[in-house]
This record gives sequence, structure tokens and C-alpha cells, in this order.
Amino acid sequence: MAQTTWTTEQGESLKPRSNRMQYVVGGVLILAALAFLIANAMSGNTQLYKTVDEFYAEQSRLVGRDLRVSGYVLGDSIQFVQIDATTSRLEFDIVDNINNPGRRLHIVAENEPMPDLLQHEAQALVEGSADANGVFHANAGGLFLKCPTRYEEAAPTG
Amino acid sequence: MIADFGFAAVLIAFLSAVYAAVAGVVGGRRNDERWITSARNASVATFPLLLLASALLITLLLQSDFSVNYVWQVSSREMPTYLKITALWGGQAGGLLFWNLLLAGYTAAAMLRKWDDQHALMPYAILVASLTQIFFLGLVAFVENPFAPIAGGIVPADGNGLNPLLRHPGMIIHPPMLYLGFTGFTIPYVFAMAALISGKLDEGWIRTTRRWTLVAWLFLSLGLILGGRWAYDVLGWGGYWAWDPVENASFIPWLSGTAFLHSVIIQEKRQMFKGWNMFLVISTYLLVVLGTFIVRSGVISSVHSFAQSAIGPLFFGFLGLMIVFSVYWVIHRWDALATPNRLESLFSREAAFLYNNFVFMAILVATLWGTLYPIISELFTGERVTVGPPFYNRVNGPLFVILLLLMGVAPLTMWYRSSAERIGMALRWPALAALVVVGALVAFGITSWAALLGFWVVSFSFLLTVLEFIKGTRARMKRGETPWAAFSNLMARNRRRYGGYWIHLGVLVMAFGIIGSYFFQQETQIRLGLGDSVALGSYEMTFNGVRQYPGPDDLLIKEANVSITDDGRNVGTLTPRTELYTRTGQPMTIPSLRSTLEEDFYVIMVNWETVLEDEATFRIFLNPLINWVWAGGFIFIAGTLIAAWPAAAAQRAPASGRRATVRPALGGD
Repeated sequence: MAQTTWTTEQGESLKPRSNRMQYVVGGVLILAALAFLIANAMSGNTQLYKTVDEFYAEQSRLVGRDLRVSGYVLGDSIQFVQIDATTSRLEFDIVDNINNPGRRLHIVAENEPMPDLLQHEAQALVEGSADANGVFHANAGGLFLKCPTRYEEAAPTG
Repeated sequence: MIADFGFAAVLIAFLSAVYAAVAGVVGGRRNDERWITSARNASVATFPLLLLASALLITLLLQSDFSVNYVWQVSSREMPTYLKITALWGGQAGGLLFWNLLLAGYTAAAMLRKWDDQHALMPYAILVASLTQIFFLGLVAFVENPFAPIAGGIVPADGNGLNPLLRHPGMIIHPPMLYLGFTGFTIPYVFAMAALISGKLDEGWIRTTRRWTLVAWLFLSLGLILGGRWAYDVLGWGGYWAWDPVENASFIPWLSGTAFLHSVIIQEKRQMFKGWNMFLVISTYLLVVLGTFIVRSGVISSVHSFAQSAIGPLFFGFLGLMIVFSVYWVIHRWDALATPNRLESLFSREAAFLYNNFVFMAILVATLWGTLYPIISELFTGERVTVGPPFYNRVNGPLFVILLLLMGVAPLTMWYRSSAERIGMALRWPALAALVVVGALVAFGITSWAALLGFWVVSFSFLLTVLEFIKGTRARMKRGETPWAAFSNLMARNRRRYGGYWIHLGVLVMAFGIIGSYFFQQETQIRLGLGDSVALGSYEMTFNGVRQYPGPDDLLIKEANVSITDDGRNVGTLTPRTELYTRTGQPMTIPSLRSTLEEDFYVIMVNWETVLEDEATFRIFLNPLINWVWAGGFIFIAGTLIAAWPAAAAQRAPASGRRATVRPALGGD
């Protein structure tokens, strides 16, 4: 059936050259649509990514903004408090360097399960925002501990 | 001693690859068969050498020889044997060795299988394959040596061991599948580049390339599905995909590979889009290298962490080199990639494949943009900005809807041109029937328009795909075949096409599950005392207490017992638990779930420390339709196997019969 259509005069008369402009216009439209789709999806869905020291360097500017902070967990700061039946609070501090801890950022996560990997020296990524007192409140589901895809420790010397 | 032999094997494999590259070029230039054969032999020899190196590393792991740094890093004495073996890919250095082994395996298989068939391409195929091998073997030999002795020379009494989260069957099989997928895409690239360099751009290379792409694609798909299943079973967040950079790194080459598997059909059928197909094959390979770079360099912050290492800049350099190499040859052969044929209608099979490619590439660009955005934004604004799952869902959601729609409609189009009117007629009833499905869902109380649109598209395309099977079967039945014979012959004779339709059905079933679990997931967290209950959806869960008992090794297990009712009907008990590895203090939360086709009732205990015999905190997820995701995955893989099968059979067929066996499978109508 396909073969009967393509050999007709109409098929032959549809010159490639006349199509070329259409393709260019079509291509530009598609790219514009994709650019719009991406730009639209970005708006309101981006987060500044900061380490602890970077956060403190610009603390006043960053208060209340949606951030993603990363740092290493100080084991003895981890606290899980069950406030009432439906409320729990998980708190811990992160620092930029575990061996030379500078300033600590205090993380508070409400009603989040205690991650298995939340331990001393674990690397945490937290999405949320800081309040005026410098406490960083994690978004719901915004607490990530680095998955040990390749669980390697640094060599003893390094 | 064993370690020295292992390192020597890697070193000889490296030198062998260097020699193969040189001999390949010399043989190609001089057209000297002896050099070409010698190059091939050197290239093939890397496989047994790496097999030996891997066997030796496994021996070291089994012997718990902690004088070897890698063995100390990834294993410990108490680990069961199967975990010691799989620790081969449990760390960076061993993973790279394993990567090399698979790459060498693919290369040797391609060289031996295609020796006669694609002989003219061979010198350059050997060159390109060897270039890739030289880089990856160089990494193992000189940067990340798995046989390196432990620093300081003092042999520890025990090793680090493997993180308990990785002691899961999904995690044992998932990395090799991803590796097989990733390394497999090297072979299509090798033949594409060989065709470019040699200038022999006829249909030979594309046929070879298509088959190897399908193999790599099968493994990558399996790797992605298994990774999702592992996350769901083990990580306890009730989800399976998080748009993390490392997940994206394997998804992105999958997208360009999938685009290629579609557009290659146009080239075979109509000799069009040669340049575009070349672009897709090259891109897929480069995206694999980029993905490996993202995963292994730590350049982009990800939930998945690999050890930070020095290989980042090397990867970047290699990527740059391969881009320049590829682009140079594409420009050099630009004229040979031109095609005399053009699209004759925007309502044709080839146009439909083109739209499909647009959508795949759009998803690829959006996902790549999001993944690289932290780097891009830092480059231009000095500030790292990340985007999370909401970005990906918003940008890719609509694109997936278009893709699913095309999946149903495209098979109705004809080559060259088809009548819009005829397609419209064919779409009418399925569209209405899908509307009835949506009506039923509205009656059930679903109001999310996005979900309803999703369900409509899935039902619509599902019906259209099933109709393709029915039409094909009935056409055969008219020739007197019984229904079952007609159905099975239909697939046996057109495995690639109907295998493809099975894959489509698998994707649609997965989409059904994804829409359900994405839009309608419910969760709650609550602390319960003995006899307390909590309701979620139609379920009610009652807490019956916690049992604490020692497990094997150093495990301490706390296991809760909860009874579940669904609509007041008793449906059994669940036992979420935590396992504490007392030596390391590492807890592991193990969900317990009641799985039905309708939904999963998924329970975890929130914090092992606060678990008492008569009191515990639970987090409960209700994941509607989630099992359709896994069921769709099975159908998907089965479809891929159906589609891949005839290729192997055709390959084994004598050269004269090859065309005859391949052609009908390509036939559109």
C-alpha cells in the first residue's frame, strides 16, 4: 500500500527545496518550545548550593531562601526526639571538614525518619532554608545522606 | 606475589592495546593483512589477560589478603563468599578493572564475530576500540591500581567490609548490568568511527551497530530497572527514582541509544538521516564517558558517592580528545553522510520516527541541562545552583506524554506518506474507549487533570498497540492459521517489530504505575503503643509489639509485628524491622510491605534507637499501582529479548541468506 502512494505524481512534485524553509521554521519552533519548557520548569525550582562556610559567609542574604547545603555530620550532635505521637524532630550539626571543624550548621528535620546512614563523618545533603537564628530547617523529604554506592574509606594516610 | 601477577597481566593488556592500535593503523594504511591480523590478535588478547587479572583479584579477595589496599577497602573476613567475589566491583579500582574486563570481552567478541563480515572496517575498528581500552587500562595500570599494596606496609587484621546497604541481590546484579550497558555502547561507536575513517559508509556498519546497540541497551535498561527496585526495597523512602545526577548519568545515554534504535530503522528503510544516526551513535558513547566522569569524579554533588579521586581531570581530557576525534571525522566525511532522499510527508512513518527522536533528544537535553546546571551556573554566575526532582518532573512530564502518544499513533503511519484522514479514522474508537476509562476514573473520585491526561494517553496508546497485534493476527488467520499459530508466527516472522511493540506495552504499563505512584502516594508517620491503630487510605494498621533477637554474626534484630486490615477485612501481618550491625553500629531499616496490583502498603520503623517492646514509630507509605512499574519492566525486558533474538539468528545465517532474513523484519507494511 505504501508503494502505491509514493510513486504518484503528487509525491514527486513535493519538492524538497520548498520543504527546507518549513523544516528550519519547525526546528526553531521546537527549540523555542524546549527552551520555554526548561525555563518554565526552572522557575521556582532552583536551589543555591552551599557548603557550611559558604553559607556563613553570606548568611544574611541567604536567610529564608531555598538552599541545598552539604557538609559532614558530627556524630555526637545527632538527636532524635519524639515530641508526641505524630511529631518527631531530628537534629544534627554539619561542618565542612571533620578533622578541622569550623563553624557548625545546625540542621532540624521534622517528622523525618532517622536515615540509616546518618552517622559521624557521613556526608549529608540537606534541602531547606535557614531561619533568622541560623537554624537550618530541612524540607519534607529534603534530607539525603550520601549513598555508599562505593563504600570506600580514604586510605589510612590520606 | 599474586598481586604482582595481577598487575603484570593488566600491564601486558595495556601494552597489548597500545600495540593493537599502532598495528591497526599500519595495517590499514599499508593494506597489509598480516599487520591487521596481528592487531586483531593483540586486541583480542586483552580479554584473557584481564580475565586472569580479575580472577587473581578475586583470589586475593577470597584469601582476605589485606596486604592489598583494595582488598582491605572493600572486604572483611566475615563476609560470605559471594560478597567477596562481587567485591570485585565494590570499589573504584576494582570497578575499573571489571569495566576493562567487560570492554575487552565486547571488543574480542566484536572482532571475532565481525572479522569476515566487516573486514574492511577492521583496522580502524581495532584502532578506535584500542584507544578506549588504552585510556581505561591506563587508569587501572597507573592511577587506580587494585593490586597496589596497603599504605604503610602494615597488614591490618581485618578489612573495612562492605556496607550492609549493598548486601542485597539487586545491588549485586545492578552494577554489572549498568557496566555491561555502558561498555557495550563502545562497540557501536567503534564501528561508526571505523566506517567514518575508512569512508565505507554503506549499510554494513549500521546493521552491525544496530545489533550491538540493542545488546548494550538491553543491559542498560535492566540496570536502570534493577537500580530502581533496589532503592525501593532497601532505602526506605518509598520511591524508586530521584533524578539524582548519578541516576541521570545512566539515563542520558539510554535516551540517545533509544533514539538511535528508532532512527536507525529510517536509515535501513530509506537511507535517510545517515548523519543524524552517526551523531546519535557518537553522542551515546560520549555521554557514557561523560556519565562515567560525573559518577566517578565527584564533580557534581550526588547522593551517590564514589571516593574522590584523581581520575576526574583524566576523564575530562579523554572526553575532550574523543569529541575532537569524532567531530574531525564527521566533518571530514560530511559529504558521504548526505542522503538523496527527503521526507515526503509530515504524515509518514519516517516523520513519526523523526518526531520520536525530537522528543527523546528534548528529554535528553533537559535532563543533561539539569544535571550539569550546577557547573553551568557556577561558570556564568559564580554561584552553584541545583535543580531537584520538581524541575525534572515538570519539564519531562509533558515530553513523556507526547512520547507515549507517539508510541500509540506512530505504528499506524505508512512509509513515504499516509493519509491523515485514514489515521484519524483509526484513532477514533481507541480515543473514545480511553475516554471511557478516564470517565470511570473520574467516577472513582480522581480529580487531578494531569493524572487523568496521563491515564488517557496510556489507555489510548495501549489500545492502539494491542490493536496492532490483533490486526496482524487476523491477517494471518485469514490465510487459514489457527489464532495461536497466527499470533506466534506474527511475532516469529517480525520479531524486531513486534518485540518493539512488546517493549511499548511494557513502557505503557510502567507509565501506568508511575502515574499512579507519583500522583497518589500517601504517607504518614506516627508513634504507636501496644494495640494502637493508624489508618491510611482503606487500610488500618494495629501495633502488636516488638520482638528483639540476635541474628547471624553480630546482628541485633528488632522486629515489629503489625496487623493490617483493608476495608475492615483482615489481610495479615507485616514485620518491619531494623538490623543493627553491632560491631560497626550501622543500622539497616528493612521495610515490610503488602503488595497487590492495586497498591503497596509499605511500612518502616523510623528510628531503631527509639524502638521499645511496646512502643515504636512507623512511617507508612501507600504507593498506588507501583507493582505495575515492575510488571512493565518485565514486559519491557521480554520485548527486548524478542527484538534482539532474530538479529543473532540472522548473524549466524550464511551471508547469502542474511538479507533475506533481515529484510522482512524491517518491513513496515
